[in-house]
Amino acid sequence: MGLLAGKRIFSIVALCMMVGLLLLPVVVALPSLAIGEETRSGDAAKKEGDKVEKGRDVYYKTEGIVSGAPAPKTTDGVKDYPRYNFESRVLLWFANQQHLYYGSFVLAVPIFCMIIEFMGVVTKDKALAKRYDQLAYDFIKISLTAYSLTAILGGILIFTFLTLYPAFFSYLSGIFRPVMHIYALMFVAESGTLYIYYYGWDKMREGFLKWIHLSMSVILNVIGTLLMFLANSWIGFMMSPAGVDEQGRYLGNIWHVIHTALWNPLNLHRILGNMAFGGGVVAAYAAYKFLASKTDEDRAHYDWMGYIAMALGVAFLIPLPFAGYWLMREVYAYRQQMGITLMGGLLAWLFIIQATMIGILFLSTNYYLWQAMGRMRGAEKYQRYIKYLVFLLACGYMVFITPHTMVMTPAELKAMGGQQHPVLGNYGVMSAKNGGINVIITTTVLSFVWYMRGNKVSTVSWAKFGNIFMGVFFGCAYFNIIFLAVYGYYIPANVRVGLSVPQVATTLSCLFFMFALNSFMMKGAKQMGPIEWGKISARSQYALIMLATAFTWMMGLMGYIRSSVRLFWHVNEIMRDNSPWAYTHTVGFAANMISANVLFFWITILFVFWLGSLTAKKVPVESKAGIPGSVPQPAPSH
Amino acid sequence: MGNLIAEALSMGWMALAILAGLLVYFQVSISDPAAKKRAVFKTFIGIVSCFLLFMAIANYKTNFYGESRLLPVSLVMITVTTFIMALYFTNLSALLKIGGMMFFVAAFLSGYGNWLPQVEGGFPPVEEKVTWETMTTQQLADKGEEIIFGGVGKNKEQGAIGKGQCPLCHAFHAGMLGERAPNLLGLPTRKERLEDPKYSKGDPSKRMYSVKEAFPGSGTAETVQEYIAESHACPSCYVVEGYGVKGTNDKESPMPSIHKPPISLSLAELAAVDTWMYAREGVEPPSFDDIVKSYEKFVPEADRPKQADDKPAGATSLLADGSEPVDQIFAKAQCVSCHTIPGIPGATGTIGPKLEEGTTAPQRIKDPAYKGTAKSTTEYIMESIVDPSAYVVKPFPDKTMPAIFGQKLSAGALKKIVDYLSQVKTGAPPPKVS
Repeated sequence: MGLLAGKRIFSIVALCMMVGLLLLPVVVALPSLAIGEETRSGDAAKKEGDKVEKGRDVYYKTEGIVSGAPAPKTTDGVKDYPRYNFESRVLLWFANQQHLYYGSFVLAVPIFCMIIEFMGVVTKDKALAKRYDQLAYDFIKISLTAYSLTAILGGILIFTFLTLYPAFFSYLSGIFRPVMHIYALMFVAESGTLYIYYYGWDKMREGFLKWIHLSMSVILNVIGTLLMFLANSWIGFMMSPAGVDEQGRYLGNIWHVIHTALWNPLNLHRILGNMAFGGGVVAAYAAYKFLASKTDEDRAHYDWMGYIAMALGVAFLIPLPFAGYWLMREVYAYRQQMGITLMGGLLAWLFIIQATMIGILFLSTNYYLWQAMGRMRGAEKYQRYIKYLVFLLACGYMVFITPHTMVMTPAELKAMGGQQHPVLGNYGVMSAKNGGINVIITTTVLSFVWYMRGNKVSTVSWAKFGNIFMGVFFGCAYFNIIFLAVYGYYIPANVRVGLSVPQVATTLSCLFFMFALNSFMMKGAKQMGPIEWGKISARSQYALIMLATAFTWMMGLMGYIRSSVRLFWHVNEIMRDNSPWAYTHTVGFAANMISANVLFFWITILFVFWLGSLTAKKVPVESKAGIPGSVPQPAPSH
Repeated sequence: MGNLIAEALSMGWMALAILAGLLVYFQVSISDPAAKKRAVFKTFIGIVSCFLLFMAIANYKTNFYGESRLLPVSLVMITVTTFIMALYFTNLSALLKIGGMMFFVAAFLSGYGNWLPQVEGGFPPVEEKVTWETMTTQQLADKGEEIIFGGVGKNKEQGAIGKGQCPLCHAFHAGMLGERAPNLLGLPTRKERLEDPKYSKGDPSKRMYSVKEAFPGSGTAETVQEYIAESHACPSCYVVEGYGVKGTNDKESPMPSIHKPPISLSLAELAAVDTWMYAREGVEPPSFDDIVKSYEKFVPEADRPKQADDKPAGATSLLADGSEPVDQIFAKAQCVSCHTIPGIPGATGTIGPKLEEGTTAPQRIKDPAYKGTAKSTTEYIMESIVDPSAYVVKPFPDKTMPAIFGQKLSAGALKKIVDYLSQVKTGAPPPKVS
């Protein structure tokens, strides 16, 4: 009893410490902000009699007292652009991308842990609860090593900025001074919380203590998310500056500087992107462990782990295109030219690569699910229909990746006989592309539904009606999507744009209604046999690796696109890039560079995995039965 | 291929030597013939794989900045290497296979990126000193067409675009639909806009738009030319129906103010643009001064871009900034006066050697008289430009070529020169000028 009370007190103290860590940056920052305000208002009062210079916010159009220096007008030389005998931009690109990869991973994994730990807490099946708990523990263990690497890479990134772009970094840090300090303190809070959360896992395993532990994961994620929002404000400012006047002078309102036109869509897009990416990395880890497993028990565990990670990753991948759509809409609203440079101008070919990648991600997911049906008795009945799904996916994919409006040279135009290709030109329009991607997503939903009911036979009285309804619903959905895609050819462009809404609504209806209906139908269903975890083909694990690599590559690609759209501006329209690298690279160079970044990340993270496997080997045999450290049997169902 | 092998050996000789040492060690130290055979064979596979790996890295390193579309081949080679190794090193088999798979995916995507048409964004436009006041109407109109479409006579070319970026959104010819912005045909005679009650001529306070006036006290346009000037300076002062920002009910225009960043056309440049708009429709344009005055009404003194001041200091001293095609870079840097360069018009100089570096550079690097540090063709060319005395081709005298080009050409211009010259080979047709 005394021990339990002690543990309770310990847990509550730990939780309070976490809340304290969360509030620490705010508490520390408040006086400094107040001092800043005081000084500013004092200065303002002092100068009241004198001339107070006012400026107009470039975005909010409000007036403010000029409180900072104008953006420096840089010149190509050692002072503003010191360099090695190498392209500084490429070095910075590398440092930035590696930090981002690791940063995204360590921010995404705790969100997974929170979800899985919660599933473990609420599930009534004790054995399953234990397995979920062990899985969450495994996840956080992986992220712990990556966490220190993230911090090291962050340091390298700052040094790269300071040594290669001193003028730019000095301007940016001048504007974001308080934000950067809060960011650093938040990082301290994140580290503290993470360590308490990880090392407190054993002590807070049961009952009330488990709930406290779960609350810690919520705090950990709140800190992590705020941390990311702050970092996003810097890139948001570089793309769509606010809070400064036309000369780049700070006007005293830090919220305006943070809350720029693109901040919110960037935040949402990055959260979803990080989650999909994190799912991919953990799935690849599970695939690696699966392929390296020597026993059936290990194979079963890592097969299950790979499935959960993939499912979570894909769950966040599905809304990602819609978040991307919102971001693009905001980009167009902020600067139409910027949107056109992205989608129909200089960077348009990169979006064709992006479309290819999205297709690859969905194809890999479907392939994995079809392979996964092989480990269930009863799923054979769906195998013969898979060829039709392949047909639908292939058609949707081909339409989706067909280019349409491209910037072409006169020679290319002449060769093609006009702006559009005589045959293919009809297929690449947005209306058809929307149809293509929606067919792909709907087919993925269908694959998931088949997978979920693979080894089950519904026992509800209305099963037959439910199946017919489901079939008709999917049939109507495909018809509606394809009909709208074709109908789009016969109406003006501005009306056509609106068709994407019913198309997306159809896809989302399939996702939500069909999943819900399937769950109802499969409640208490007769099992044809258990899922034989571990009895999945090795090919399926390569699909997971493909998924993970493609996520990583796409992240690199989209980051490059987002950064390149500023063209020759460090801060769009405020601070011009006068370095010798103020031009945009060719698609080929960018692709090679992204590959180099992706491969470096994977080589290092595989090394981290390998390090992790070394420590796992040291776990004494006796502890195998307990948690953590043991390899439990996975769940009997999904 | 020979160069690649040499480069791979120079990079990986230590690793290869260690593996060769291991091979010998296993040969002499293992007594069991079966175990010896296995160990020796594995080490041999290791040597082959290691060599392939360094070949791949050398290919990447040598061609990193080149236009070579074969770079992803490196990644495919690494894929093959890892899968071969996975067959023999079963302990690391999973790791190697996964690594190989990742290299394969990266190779595919990299190859795809290199297969697509290669578009490179040029450098920011460098402003030239132009004497606008003395130009004839035709010269002004030509300049205006250049600003809009990027060159004289390009107005009917699809996709032609100049510094002003107007064709990104506007159409200019009859029958062409501007989905993002109105068609500008007939603009010089579009008097009806001034009469539109929504325009509220003479009383900007009654306007329904997000911006009432270009700046406080600027008033509204009285003539068509002033209307054109106002639309450029303050696009949201009047928005043509159906072309506003979505969700604003046509109260705000998506068009940026053309005299402000990112486009930042000077008033003189805007006058040239307007002159072309009149001249192409056969309408007599107002004088240069009148057009500039119409803009001065809507652009306050402080907002007017100053041409000379805005010019980046770094660019002023450069002979070429890299935005030009490579033949122009050769001409601007005066390379053509002294060198014969196959494929470059007018490059028939004989003061320096003929530049067929694709063939000659590898030979010169191997020459015992060569004292430079270059290991590849591209490095050699770069070195000859930046430090011409590193190797002097016989019988040409030393110190003839100035050592200033490293400072006088931008990184982009140097890259273009190196890319081009590395492809020029004796007896082969010259590469395409880009």
